[in-house]
Amino acid sequence: MSKFRKKDGKGAPGINTSSLPDIVFMLLFFFMVATTTKEIDPLVQVRPATGVGLNDLTPFKQRSEVDFVYLGEPLSGDISKFEKGIAIQYDGIIHKDGIDHIDEWKQEKFASKPAEFTAPREEVITCFKADETVPMGIIFQARELLGNANFNSIGYYAQEKGNKRDYNIRQQ
Amino acid sequence: MAKREAPEINAGSMADIAFLLLIFFLVTTTMDKDTAYLRKIPKKVENVDSPPVQKKNIYKIVINSKQQIQARDSVIDISEIESLNGRIKHFYLVNRDKKTNREQNYPYYAFGTKELYQTNLDNNYNKLDALEAQEEMTEKIEKTIEQTMVAIEKWNEKLDMITMFSKYSGKREMPEIAFEAHVRLESFIDTDYSAYVAVQSEVQKAVTELRNEESEALFGITYSAMKKYYQQNLLEDTPKVREYREKMDLIENLFPLRIIEVKPNK
Repeated sequence: MSKFRKKDGKGAPGINTSSLPDIVFMLLFFFMVATTTKEIDPLVQVRPATGVGLNDLTPFKQRSEVDFVYLGEPLSGDISKFEKGIAIQYDGIIHKDGIDHIDEWKQEKFASKPAEFTAPREEVITCFKADETVPMGIIFQARELLGNANFNSIGYYAQEKGNKRDYNIRQQ
Repeated sequence: MAKREAPEINAGSMADIAFLLLIFFLVTTTMDKDTAYLRKIPKKVENVDSPPVQKKNIYKIVINSKQQIQARDSVIDISEIESLNGRIKHFYLVNRDKKTNREQNYPYYAFGTKELYQTNLDNNYNKLDALEAQEEMTEKIEKTIEQTMVAIEKWNEKLDMITMFSKYSGKREMPEIAFEAHVRLESFIDTDYSAYVAVQSEVQKAVTELRNEESEALFGITYSAMKKYYQQNLLEDTPKVREYREKMDLIENLFPLRIIEVKPNK
């Protein structure tokens, strides 16, 4: 009875996977081009403020002309230990002196730049990556310390909000 | 010798290797760009008494600790914060191209011409010659010479700018906003960072839009595009970078962004 298929052990035809590496490499290159490396893991919570017409810091990062300081509530540990509940993170650590340490930290950073680094100290940006609820008093304290140490460029970190969305401002 | 074919290399694990790399990059990188508003902290000056700035040249914005905004005499609700854009543009534009009939409460414009700048430059050169011809060099004269040199440099720059402006616009006169005109940003100690940044954003947006319009009309390229190119290629000294720098200087002179950020004390 040849009308019925015999069970002869033939499986589904194999799929040709020889172009799989090409596809994966394509993805790999896309991600290598479209993303940037993470600098450090944040120890404080930063919900970014939003705005429009922001300046892209990528070219400054490539020339290492920008240093980030993180301000926000600590992700772990006792909040009440910090003034106003705001911890300040320099590179990998939360410093116990808080914002008063900023000029020393900046000096150290500037001194450890490589020899081919030519930007004058007034133009090395200090960028405040602050949580949206951080009070401005702290930032102005930092501004004063930086101004006294002749680090005259600062950046207010924010993320592009798009034209449709509103600013996320806490209403009271 | 018998010709033997080279054995084929098994490329089956190539995909695995590529996946491994892909996952490594996915984990160690982030998608979001770092963006910020760049500002300058003014340099320290030792107790210089500056004359008071006229009220019409100040656009004062205050944000209190409850995130309420006051711009000049009007209180702006947080939901209407975008009206700041139009208000700031009005502040810049209302007296532009007006020689008479000016709004009293807004900054005045001066109209420079090539001849005027040239006269100023010549006057300063004559002054410098006279000073250097003095027989006795006192400290005071040296200081005046220094000041004159600075003035000469400034007028030279202005002369270059007006030459460029006339070339592209075909106008003889260049409108210049009063040099004291500025936006004054006051906050409280407890003002939220997000509210402060929102106001910065509106000011930045207003001025950038004015600059883009002007730049488009003069050079056929927006200010933002030039700035982006300039910042990426800052270290290369090519003719294009220099040209953009000059054009940007002119636009920045026509629509200066001066923000004075006041340290809060309450």
